[in-house]
Amino acid sequence: MTLFKNKKQSSYTVIIGCGRLGANLANTLSEEGENVLILDEDKDSFRKLSSSFGGLAVEGDGTELDTLKAADVQRADTVVAVTNNDNVNIMIAQIAKECFSVKRVISRLFDPERECVYQELGIDTICPAVLSANEIDKILNRNAGTQEVVKA
Amino acid sequence: MKRNVLLVGGRSKAKSLAQSLIQKGYQVTIVNSSYVDCEKLAENDKFTVIHGDGTKPYVLEDAGANHMDIAIALTSKDEDNLVICELCKKKFLIPKTLSLLSDPQKTDFFYKMGVDRVICAISAVTSIIEQQAFMEEMAKVIPLGEGRVRIIEIPITEKDPAAQKQIWEIDLPKEVIIGCILRQNQTLIPRGDTRILAGDVLVLISGNDQEEIALLELKGGESKWRG
Repeated sequence: MTLFKNKKQSSYTVIIGCGRLGANLANTLSEEGENVLILDEDKDSFRKLSSSFGGLAVEGDGTELDTLKAADVQRADTVVAVTNNDNVNIMIAQIAKECFSVKRVISRLFDPERECVYQELGIDTICPAVLSANEIDKILNRNAGTQEVVKA
Repeated sequence: MKRNVLLVGGRSKAKSLAQSLIQKGYQVTIVNSSYVDCEKLAENDKFTVIHGDGTKPYVLEDAGANHMDIAIALTSKDEDNLVICELCKKKFLIPKTLSLLSDPQKTDFFYKMGVDRVICAISAVTSIIEQQAFMEEMAKVIPLGEGRVRIIEIPITEKDPAAQKQIWEIDLPKEVIIGCILRQNQTLIPRGDTRILAGDVLVLISGNDQEEIALLELKGGESKWRG
Protein backbone atom coordinates (compact mmCIF):
# COMPACT_ATOMS: atom_id res chain seq x y z
CA MET A 1 0.00 0.00 0.00
CA THR A 2 2.76 2.40 0.91
CA LEU A 3 4.60 1.42 -2.19
CA PHE A 4 1.59 2.33 -4.20
CA LYS A 5 1.36 5.70 -2.53
CA ASN A 6 4.99 6.48 -3.05
CA LYS A 7 4.78 5.86 -6.73
CA LYS A 8 4.40 9.21 -8.36
CA GLN A 9 1.33 9.26 -10.53
CA SER A 10 1.72 11.37 -13.61
CA SER A 11 -0.79 14.20 -13.59
CA TYR A 12 -2.93 15.44 -16.42
CA THR A 13 -2.47 19.01 -17.58
CA VAL A 14 -4.61 20.82 -20.13
CA ILE A 15 -3.03 23.84 -21.77
CA ILE A 16 -5.21 26.22 -23.74
CA GLY A 17 -3.43 28.35 -26.31
CA CYS A 18 -0.44 27.08 -28.24
CA GLY A 19 1.60 30.25 -28.39
CA ARG A 20 5.27 30.45 -27.43
CA LEU A 21 4.47 30.09 -23.74
CA GLY A 22 1.89 27.33 -24.19
CA ALA A 23 4.06 25.30 -26.56
CA ASN A 24 7.14 25.69 -24.39
CA LEU A 25 5.29 24.57 -21.30
CA ALA A 26 3.76 21.64 -23.17
CA ASN A 27 7.19 20.51 -24.37
CA THR A 28 8.68 20.75 -20.88
CA LEU A 29 5.84 18.89 -19.16
CA SER A 30 5.83 16.23 -21.83
CA GLU A 31 9.56 15.70 -21.37
CA GLU A 32 8.99 15.29 -17.66
CA GLY A 33 6.65 12.46 -18.48
CA GLU A 34 3.34 14.12 -17.65
CA ASN A 35 0.14 13.73 -19.59
CA VAL A 36 -0.44 16.90 -21.55
CA LEU A 37 -3.22 18.04 -23.82
CA ILE A 38 -2.79 21.29 -25.69
CA LEU A 39 -5.70 23.07 -27.33
CA ASP A 40 -5.63 25.80 -29.94
CA GLU A 41 -8.00 27.23 -32.52
CA ASP A 42 -5.35 27.25 -35.19
CA LYS A 43 -3.70 23.95 -36.01
CA ASP A 44 -0.72 25.73 -37.61
CA SER A 45 0.32 26.87 -34.16
CA PHE A 46 1.11 23.25 -33.23
CA ARG A 47 4.30 23.42 -35.29
CA LYS A 48 5.80 25.18 -32.28
CA LEU A 49 5.64 21.88 -30.41
CA SER A 50 8.88 19.92 -30.45
CA SER A 51 9.08 16.71 -32.46
CA SER A 52 9.44 14.73 -29.25
CA PHE A 53 6.19 16.10 -27.82
CA GLY A 54 4.30 13.09 -26.54
CA GLY A 55 1.00 14.65 -25.57
CA LEU A 56 -2.19 15.38 -27.46
CA ALA A 57 -2.67 18.42 -29.65
CA VAL A 58 -6.33 19.24 -30.26
CA GLU A 59 -7.74 21.86 -32.59
CA GLY A 60 -10.75 23.66 -31.12
CA ASP A 61 -12.20 26.70 -29.38
CA GLY A 62 -11.20 26.58 -25.72
CA THR A 63 -14.08 28.81 -24.70
CA GLU A 64 -16.65 26.21 -25.79
CA LEU A 65 -17.95 23.87 -23.13
CA ASP A 66 -18.21 20.98 -25.58
CA THR A 67 -14.59 21.33 -26.64
CA LEU A 68 -13.43 21.39 -23.04
CA LYS A 69 -15.57 18.36 -22.24
CA ALA A 70 -14.08 16.49 -25.19
CA ALA A 71 -10.61 17.38 -23.89
CA ASP A 72 -11.53 15.68 -20.60
CA VAL A 73 -10.97 18.87 -18.61
CA GLN A 74 -13.03 17.49 -15.70
CA ARG A 75 -10.28 14.89 -15.20
CA ALA A 76 -7.42 17.40 -15.38
CA ASP A 77 -5.29 18.19 -12.34
CA THR A 78 -4.22 21.51 -13.79
CA VAL A 79 -5.59 23.81 -16.45
CA VAL A 80 -3.37 26.52 -17.86
CA ALA A 81 -5.01 29.31 -19.87
CA VAL A 82 -2.38 31.05 -21.99
CA THR A 83 -4.11 32.40 -25.08
CA ASN A 84 -3.11 35.84 -26.29
CA ASN A 85 -6.34 37.40 -25.03
CA ASP A 86 -6.71 38.29 -21.34
CA ASN A 87 -10.47 38.11 -21.31
CA VAL A 88 -10.47 34.72 -22.98
CA ASN A 89 -8.01 33.49 -20.36
CA ILE A 90 -10.20 34.85 -17.58
CA MET A 91 -13.27 33.14 -18.98
CA ILE A 92 -11.56 29.80 -19.60
CA ALA A 93 -10.07 29.83 -16.10
CA GLN A 94 -13.47 30.50 -14.57
CA ILE A 95 -15.17 27.83 -16.67
CA ALA A 96 -12.50 25.31 -15.65
CA LYS A 97 -12.95 26.20 -11.99
CA GLU A 98 -16.72 26.50 -11.84
CA CYS A 99 -18.05 24.12 -14.48
CA PHE A 100 -15.37 21.43 -14.39
CA SER A 101 -14.18 21.79 -10.76
CA VAL A 102 -10.51 21.74 -11.72
CA LYS A 103 -8.36 22.09 -8.59
CA ARG A 104 -5.52 24.11 -10.01
CA VAL A 105 -6.10 26.78 -12.59
CA ILE A 106 -3.33 29.03 -13.81
CA SER A 107 -3.86 31.90 -16.15
CA ARG A 108 -1.65 34.37 -17.94
CA LEU A 109 -2.78 37.98 -17.72
CA PHE A 110 -1.06 40.76 -19.63
CA ASP A 111 -2.91 43.49 -17.78
CA PRO A 112 -2.48 43.11 -14.00
CA GLU A 113 -5.32 45.56 -13.35
CA ARG A 114 -7.95 42.92 -13.96
CA GLU A 115 -6.63 40.68 -11.23
CA CYS A 116 -9.43 41.52 -8.82
CA VAL A 117 -11.74 39.34 -10.88
CA TYR A 118 -9.55 36.33 -10.22
CA GLN A 119 -8.58 36.70 -6.61
CA GLU A 120 -11.88 35.64 -5.09
CA LEU A 121 -12.03 32.57 -7.26
CA GLY A 122 -8.69 31.07 -6.30
CA ILE A 123 -7.21 31.25 -9.77
CA ASP A 124 -3.45 31.77 -9.96
CA THR A 125 -2.33 34.48 -12.31
CA ILE A 126 0.95 35.13 -14.01
CA CYS A 127 1.64 38.58 -15.33
CA PRO A 128 4.58 38.79 -17.77
CA ALA A 129 5.06 42.54 -17.27
CA VAL A 130 5.34 42.21 -13.49
CA LEU A 131 7.65 39.19 -13.75
CA SER A 132 9.91 40.93 -16.25
CA ALA A 133 10.03 44.08 -14.17
CA ASN A 134 11.07 42.05 -11.12
CA GLU A 135 13.73 40.22 -13.10
CA ILE A 136 15.15 43.43 -14.56
CA ASP A 137 15.12 44.97 -11.12
CA LYS A 138 17.08 41.97 -9.80
CA ILE A 139 19.69 42.31 -12.55
CA LEU A 140 20.04 46.01 -11.87
CA ASN A 141 20.50 45.41 -8.15
CA ARG A 142 23.07 42.70 -8.76
CA ASN A 143 25.03 44.97 -11.05
CA ALA A 144 24.91 47.73 -8.49
CA GLY A 145 26.15 45.32 -5.84
CA THR A 146 29.25 44.28 -7.75
CA GLN A 147 29.98 47.83 -8.84
CA GLU A 148 30.09 46.76 -12.44
CA VAL A 149 30.50 49.60 -14.88
CA VAL A 150 28.54 49.35 -18.08
CA LYS A 151 30.05 51.22 -20.95
CA ALA A 152 27.70 52.77 -23.42
CA MET B 1 -32.62 61.38 -8.67
CA LYS B 2 -32.00 60.00 -12.13
CA ARG B 3 -30.94 56.40 -12.45
CA ASN B 4 -27.60 55.89 -14.18
CA VAL B 5 -27.14 53.23 -16.81
CA LEU B 6 -23.82 52.17 -18.31
CA LEU B 7 -23.80 50.53 -21.74
CA VAL B 8 -20.58 48.88 -22.92
CA GLY B 9 -20.06 47.97 -26.56
CA GLY B 10 -22.57 47.30 -29.31
CA ARG B 11 -23.11 50.14 -31.77
CA SER B 12 -26.66 49.89 -33.04
CA LYS B 13 -27.91 48.00 -30.00
CA ALA B 14 -26.37 50.59 -27.70
CA LYS B 15 -27.82 53.42 -29.73
CA SER B 16 -31.41 52.24 -29.81
CA LEU B 17 -31.28 51.06 -26.21
CA ALA B 18 -29.82 54.39 -25.09
CA GLN B 19 -32.50 56.33 -26.92
CA SER B 20 -35.30 54.37 -25.35
CA LEU B 21 -33.71 54.55 -21.88
CA ILE B 22 -33.36 58.32 -22.15
CA GLN B 23 -37.02 58.63 -23.04
CA LYS B 24 -37.78 56.72 -19.85
CA GLY B 25 -35.72 59.20 -17.86
CA TYR B 26 -32.45 57.38 -17.35
CA GLN B 27 -29.02 58.94 -17.49
CA VAL B 28 -27.02 56.97 -20.06
CA THR B 29 -23.25 56.58 -20.51
CA ILE B 30 -21.88 54.54 -23.40
CA VAL B 31 -18.41 53.00 -23.61
CA ASN B 32 -17.23 51.79 -27.00
CA SER B 33 -13.82 50.65 -28.17
CA SER B 34 -14.27 51.74 -31.79
CA TYR B 35 -13.61 55.42 -32.47
CA VAL B 36 -15.86 55.44 -35.55
CA ASP B 37 -18.73 53.96 -33.55
CA CYS B 38 -18.15 56.53 -30.82
CA GLU B 39 -18.42 59.35 -33.33
CA LYS B 40 -21.71 57.96 -34.60
CA LEU B 41 -23.04 57.55 -31.08
CA ALA B 42 -21.92 61.02 -30.05
CA GLU B 43 -24.19 62.59 -32.68
CA ASN B 44 -26.89 62.41 -30.04
CA ASP B 45 -25.90 64.85 -27.33
CA LYS B 46 -28.24 63.43 -24.71
CA PHE B 47 -25.87 60.71 -23.67
CA THR B 48 -22.21 60.63 -22.68
CA VAL B 49 -19.92 58.62 -24.95
CA ILE B 50 -16.52 57.37 -23.87
CA HIS B 51 -13.99 55.87 -26.24
CA GLY B 52 -12.05 52.98 -24.72
CA ASP B 53 -11.90 49.28 -23.98
CA GLY B 54 -14.68 48.60 -21.49
CA THR B 55 -12.89 45.53 -20.16
CA LYS B 56 -10.21 47.78 -18.66
CA PRO B 57 -10.88 48.99 -15.14
CA TYR B 58 -9.59 52.53 -15.71
CA VAL B 59 -11.88 53.05 -18.69
CA LEU B 60 -14.87 52.01 -16.60
CA GLU B 61 -13.69 54.30 -13.86
CA ASP B 62 -13.52 57.21 -16.31
CA ALA B 63 -17.04 56.36 -17.39
CA GLY B 64 -18.14 56.84 -13.79
CA ALA B 65 -18.84 53.18 -13.08
CA ASN B 66 -18.79 53.99 -9.36
CA HIS B 67 -22.08 55.84 -9.59
CA MET B 68 -23.93 53.50 -11.93
CA ASP B 69 -27.10 51.66 -10.99
CA ILE B 70 -27.20 49.29 -13.94
CA ALA B 71 -24.44 48.04 -16.26
CA ILE B 72 -25.26 46.37 -19.56
CA ALA B 73 -22.57 44.55 -21.58
CA LEU B 74 -23.45 44.47 -25.26
CA THR B 75 -20.22 43.48 -27.00
CA SER B 76 -20.20 40.62 -29.47
CA LYS B 77 -17.62 38.66 -27.49
CA ASP B 78 -18.77 36.53 -24.58
CA GLU B 79 -15.48 36.79 -22.73
CA ASP B 80 -15.53 40.58 -22.92
CA ASN B 81 -19.08 40.72 -21.64
CA LEU B 82 -18.21 38.44 -18.74
CA VAL B 83 -15.21 40.51 -17.72
CA ILE B 84 -17.18 43.76 -18.03
CA CYS B 85 -19.94 42.43 -15.78
CA GLU B 86 -17.50 41.02 -13.24
CA LEU B 87 -15.52 44.24 -13.05
CA CYS B 88 -18.71 46.25 -12.70
CA LYS B 89 -20.00 43.95 -9.99
CA LYS B 90 -16.85 43.32 -7.98
CA LYS B 91 -14.71 46.39 -8.48
CA PHE B 92 -17.32 49.08 -8.94
CA LEU B 93 -20.12 47.46 -6.94
CA ILE B 94 -22.83 48.17 -9.49
CA PRO B 95 -26.00 46.56 -8.10
CA LYS B 96 -27.37 45.18 -11.35
CA THR B 97 -25.46 43.78 -14.32
CA LEU B 98 -26.85 42.45 -17.58
CA SER B 99 -24.97 40.67 -20.29
CA LEU B 100 -25.59 39.70 -23.85
CA LEU B 101 -24.42 36.18 -24.64
CA SER B 102 -23.88 34.47 -27.98
CA ASP B 103 -23.24 30.91 -26.85
CA PRO B 104 -26.44 29.57 -25.24
CA GLN B 105 -24.50 26.82 -23.47
CA LYS B 106 -22.83 29.35 -21.22
CA THR B 107 -26.05 30.80 -19.79
CA ASP B 108 -25.79 28.88 -16.50
CA PHE B 109 -22.10 29.62 -16.22
CA PHE B 110 -22.72 33.37 -16.57
CA TYR B 111 -25.37 33.28 -13.85
CA LYS B 112 -22.97 31.33 -11.63
CA MET B 113 -20.35 34.01 -12.09
CA GLY B 114 -22.72 36.59 -10.67
CA VAL B 115 -24.18 38.26 -13.74
CA ASP B 116 -27.72 39.25 -12.74
CA ARG B 117 -29.41 38.83 -16.09
CA VAL B 118 -28.13 36.95 -19.10
CA ILE B 119 -29.76 37.61 -22.45
CA CYS B 120 -28.93 35.03 -25.03
CA ALA B 121 -29.70 36.57 -28.39
CA ILE B 122 -29.48 33.32 -30.31
CA SER B 123 -31.91 31.38 -28.19
CA ALA B 124 -34.27 34.36 -28.04
CA VAL B 125 -34.26 34.74 -31.81
CA THR B 126 -34.54 31.02 -32.55
CA SER B 127 -37.44 30.63 -30.16
CA ILE B 128 -39.25 33.55 -31.81
CA ILE B 129 -38.63 32.08 -35.26
CA GLU B 130 -39.88 28.72 -34.07
CA GLN B 131 -43.03 30.29 -32.72
CA GLN B 132 -43.64 32.23 -35.89
CA ALA B 133 -43.02 29.23 -38.10
CA PHE B 134 -44.92 26.52 -36.26
CA MET B 135 -47.34 28.16 -33.94
CA GLU B 136 -49.23 30.53 -36.17
CA GLU B 137 -52.43 30.00 -34.27
CA MET B 138 -50.97 31.38 -31.11
CA ALA B 139 -51.29 35.08 -31.47
CA LYS B 140 -48.79 35.92 -28.80
CA VAL B 141 -46.39 33.95 -26.63
CA ILE B 142 -44.58 35.56 -23.76
CA PRO B 143 -41.84 33.43 -22.18
CA LEU B 144 -41.08 34.01 -18.51
CA GLY B 145 -38.39 32.58 -16.26
CA GLU B 146 -36.06 31.52 -19.08
CA GLY B 147 -38.96 30.06 -21.03
CA ARG B 148 -40.08 27.66 -18.32
CA VAL B 149 -43.40 29.45 -18.11
CA ARG B 150 -45.25 30.92 -21.05
CA ILE B 151 -48.25 33.16 -21.33
CA ILE B 152 -50.10 32.43 -24.54
CA GLU B 153 -52.98 34.18 -26.27
CA ILE B 154 -55.25 31.84 -28.20
CA PRO B 155 -58.18 33.03 -30.29
CA ILE B 156 -61.11 30.58 -30.37
CA THR B 157 -63.20 30.18 -33.52
CA GLU B 158 -66.50 28.34 -33.84
CA LYS B 159 -64.79 25.38 -35.52
CA ASP B 160 -62.64 24.71 -32.51
CA PRO B 161 -63.59 21.88 -30.15
CA ALA B 162 -63.34 24.19 -27.16
CA ALA B 163 -66.03 26.54 -28.44
CA GLN B 164 -69.33 26.26 -26.53
CA LYS B 165 -67.69 24.09 -23.89
CA GLN B 166 -67.54 24.75 -20.21
CA ILE B 167 -64.07 24.82 -18.80
CA TRP B 168 -64.46 21.68 -16.68
CA GLU B 169 -65.33 19.78 -19.87
CA ILE B 170 -61.94 20.50 -21.37
CA ASP B 171 -59.17 18.12 -20.40
CA LEU B 172 -56.23 20.49 -20.04
CA PRO B 173 -52.81 19.28 -18.88
CA LYS B 174 -52.16 19.87 -15.18
CA GLU B 175 -49.51 22.48 -15.87
CA VAL B 176 -51.77 24.67 -17.97
CA ILE B 177 -54.49 26.98 -16.73
CA ILE B 178 -56.76 29.41 -18.52
CA GLY B 179 -55.89 32.58 -16.69
CA CYS B 180 -58.25 34.91 -18.39
CA ILE B 181 -60.83 35.15 -21.17
CA LEU B 182 -61.00 38.24 -23.32
CA ARG B 183 -64.55 38.55 -24.68
CA GLN B 184 -65.22 41.70 -26.72
CA ASN B 185 -64.51 44.47 -24.24
CA GLN B 186 -64.84 42.29 -21.18
CA THR B 187 -62.13 40.55 -19.23
CA LEU B 188 -63.38 37.41 -17.52
CA ILE B 189 -61.54 35.45 -14.89
CA PRO B 190 -62.85 31.99 -15.70
CA ARG B 191 -64.30 29.44 -13.31
CA GLY B 192 -65.06 25.79 -13.96
CA ASP B 193 -68.55 26.56 -15.22
CA THR B 194 -67.58 29.43 -17.51
CA ARG B 195 -68.54 28.65 -21.10
CA ILE B 196 -66.05 29.43 -23.83
CA LEU B 197 -67.64 31.14 -26.84
CA ALA B 198 -66.46 31.53 -30.40
CA GLY B 199 -64.58 34.81 -30.74
CA ASP B 200 -63.13 34.57 -27.26
CA VAL B 201 -59.42 35.01 -26.77
CA LEU B 202 -58.02 32.74 -24.08
CA VAL B 203 -54.96 33.69 -22.10
CA LEU B 204 -53.17 30.51 -21.07
CA ILE B 205 -50.43 30.17 -18.52
CA SER B 206 -48.38 27.11 -19.29
CA GLY B 207 -45.39 25.45 -17.69
CA ASN B 208 -42.91 22.90 -19.03
CA ASP B 209 -43.84 23.10 -22.71
CA GLN B 210 -47.34 21.77 -22.11
CA GLU B 211 -48.94 24.33 -24.39
CA GLU B 212 -48.96 22.03 -27.42
CA ILE B 213 -51.05 19.47 -25.59
CA ALA B 214 -53.34 22.24 -24.40
CA LEU B 215 -53.65 23.53 -27.95
CA LEU B 216 -54.60 20.07 -29.19
CA GLU B 217 -57.39 20.04 -26.61
CA LEU B 218 -58.60 23.54 -27.40
CA LYS B 219 -58.14 23.76 -31.17
CA GLY B 220 -58.22 20.07 -32.01
CA GLY B 221 -56.64 17.89 -34.66
CA GLU B 222 -53.17 17.70 -36.02
CA SER B 223 -53.12 21.32 -36.96
CA LYS B 224 -50.24 23.11 -38.59
CA TRP B 225 -48.55 24.36 -35.45
CA ARG B 226 -47.34 20.87 -34.78
CA GLY B 227 -44.63 21.45 -37.33
